Amino acid sequence: MSSPPVTGSAEVPQRLGGPGPARFRPRRTPPTGTARPRRRGLLSYWRQYLAISPFYLIFAAFSFFPVFYSLYLAFQRWDGMGTMQFVGLQQFRFLWDDPVFWLSIRNTLVIWVLSTVPTLFGALMLATLLHSVRRFKGFYRIALYVPNVTSIVAVAIFFGAVFSNNFGLVNAILGVVGISPIPWLSNPWLIKVVISLLMTWQWTGYNMIIYLAGLQAIPNSIYEAAKMDGAGPIRTFFQITIPIMRPIILFTVIISTINGLQSFSEPQVLFANNAANANLGGPGQAGLTTLLYFYQSAFLNNDYGYGAAIVWAFFVLIIILVAVNWRITTRGRKA
Amino acid sequence: MDLSRRGFLQAAALTAAASGLTVACGGGSGSGGTKNGKNLTLWYWGGALSDKVVAEAKTHFASAVTLTTASIGGDFKQKLTTTLAAGTSVPDITGIKGEDMASFLPNANRFLDLNDLGFKKLSSQYLGWKAKLAQTKDGKQIGFPIDIGPTALFYREDFFAKAGVDTDPAKVAALVKTWEDYFQLGTELQKKNPGTYLVNNISSVFNIVVGQGTQRFIDKNNHFIGDQDHIRQAWTTAVRPYTLGIDAKINDNTWNAAVGKNLLTELGAAWHALDIEQAAPQTKGKWRVCANPVGPANQGGSYLALPRQCRNPEEAFKIISWILSPANDARGFTDAAIFPAAPAAYAMPAMTGPDAFFGGQKIIEVFGPAAKAIPDSYEAPADAAVMAPYMTELTNIEAKGKKPDDAWKDAVSQAKQIARRQGVS
Repeated sequence: MSSPPVTGSAEVPQRLGGPGPARFRPRRTPPTGTARPRRRGLLSYWRQYLAISPFYLIFAAFSFFPVFYSLYLAFQRWDGMGTMQFVGLQQFRFLWDDPVFWLSIRNTLVIWVLSTVPTLFGALMLATLLHSVRRFKGFYRIALYVPNVTSIVAVAIFFGAVFSNNFGLVNAILGVVGISPIPWLSNPWLIKVVISLLMTWQWTGYNMIIYLAGLQAIPNSIYEAAKMDGAGPIRTFFQITIPIMRPIILFTVIISTINGLQSFSEPQVLFANNAANANLGGPGQAGLTTLLYFYQSAFLNNDYGYGAAIVWAFFVLIIILVAVNWRITTRGRKA
Repeated sequence: MDLSRRGFLQAAALTAAASGLTVACGGGSGSGGTKNGKNLTLWYWGGALSDKVVAEAKTHFASAVTLTTASIGGDFKQKLTTTLAAGTSVPDITGIKGEDMASFLPNANRFLDLNDLGFKKLSSQYLGWKAKLAQTKDGKQIGFPIDIGPTALFYREDFFAKAGVDTDPAKVAALVKTWEDYFQLGTELQKKNPGTYLVNNISSVFNIVVGQGTQRFIDKNNHFIGDQDHIRQAWTTAVRPYTLGIDAKINDNTWNAAVGKNLLTELGAAWHALDIEQAAPQTKGKWRVCANPVGPANQGGSYLALPRQCRNPEEAFKIISWILSPANDARGFTDAAIFPAAPAAYAMPAMTGPDAFFGGQKIIEVFGPAAKAIPDSYEAPADAAVMAPYMTELTNIEAKGKKPDDAWKDAVSQAKQIARRQGVS
């Protein structure tokens, strides 16, 4: 096929709001002579829309619709099968008075801080170390990334066995040194520490890879210039590496905030096998994160309206935290 | 390029056609208008029924219908709820777990009334209290009882002997007639067997004491009664072993390791025997069973039900009444440790044999009478949800050393809130 004339195609983006950069021009153009009416501009792209439609159809069915349906549910009382009953803001009023909800928010925030901070610092340190490594590069990268692709259920079961109160490996090792057993899985704080450790272990490698990519994009000439100006490695790190990496750090902070606040599988698997007690989250509900509480309310107690109210309240909280994080991380950049 | 576009369009058209076909199939399979369908599906979960009996049912009814079975993993109740709510691809016969039955009763119209199909004639063969738990207030029978979980006291014969206590089941049962007797015996046993505990956690005691009564947390008029004397007494009883120091406070997966080491007794249902056997095979022959203090309670035990969409109710009912006939129910006990809900089974050879794990004791002599002595009780749809905070607070006493009185107050106030959310007055 002969290459199409360029003149015709440049007008198309113009109709959609100004000429785009050359690389966004559609490759194919209508054959000359069949000029279409202007208002059918969108329709002329039906092939392209068809090509991208599978994603949007699936997204609409499995994400977009459920999200707004859950908003609708938050104003109803529903057991999952019977008739729905409109209750207005009652679910949110219950939420406000529910100490367990606030406990779950506190748990989530503590676990988030305890896991995200070490994860990001650890990842940055590992990435810097790995950046200067000469041999076995591939091995280190794979070894550090493997935790991220390991099944979380398997990892949680493993952690549960290692930190087991009475017969766990950690307590056995402490016992050898002469330290009496520590109740890892029943003390409210230690429960959170164990969950955070699990999440740190799992996400450090992922963030490290992203940092490493960022480090490798920094041109060597900048470092050479810094060296000539007499900056040591530490000063270089804080005054060259960190400022250049800022957008990447911002990205990881936001992704980690969203991921870290959604901890669910970790406490669910760690504290699930207690047949006598239907409640989740372990002793004292210390590992009850908000999403776990939502799951318990909606799917175990059949209270779908209340479950929906929990997740929407939690959504607002995540938005606030992401905004705060954004402000903190971008502070001073424009000044 | 033209060719690839055509190929793409073809692929797209095929995909669209295929998805349309899938939707059509999904709609067709569940909501067929005919009521004499030849294909029936049965949903259950691993261990709910004897797989051998189910396999035989397929051949036994092969001339009339084709029975397809699916062992559903994961959260069974959740999957069943979703399917029933969607109304398509609904199974013709489904299992329902005993603890979930109460929450399905408000939606009884999603199921067929088994009394219309002939359960009335058969009901005398099954334990009345168990059948009643699957009945609506206006007498619709939703569930056909599969099994039950009569509780008893499992105890370590060797620890008892070491402390100079009688080890014969009948005599031990006489020693622990009341809860207080049981706890006093526990302190004595602990003195002679240092480092051992009487109960694994106090929630298990609470669970059984509540189950011994006829009233639970919500009464028949949908009022919250979780703050009344019968629950308060169960609470006080449950806290006793904690104050006496004979509570092992196990609330995590370390139970598996502890059960063969330092637990003197276990309170549990008949199926709990299998848990002990799997967790501590090295203690084979050292365990015995006797009646637990005061009287038996029930824990678990499932049902089979026929959803409204069932394609052939007559045949489906024939199949479930065959699978759950006393003789086949007794085989479930041998194959999968399912304790039958039909008392006639208790006299069958499959159940009367000696159990090597319990030193050759005929454990049916304990569980059989217990099964018949379980009281009628009313379990409201929200009962499990309302009970949860009591369990949480009992765990708080054990894990954080929370004062029992504070824990009680918090449990009641939280239970009241949950009850209100679930529409209980």
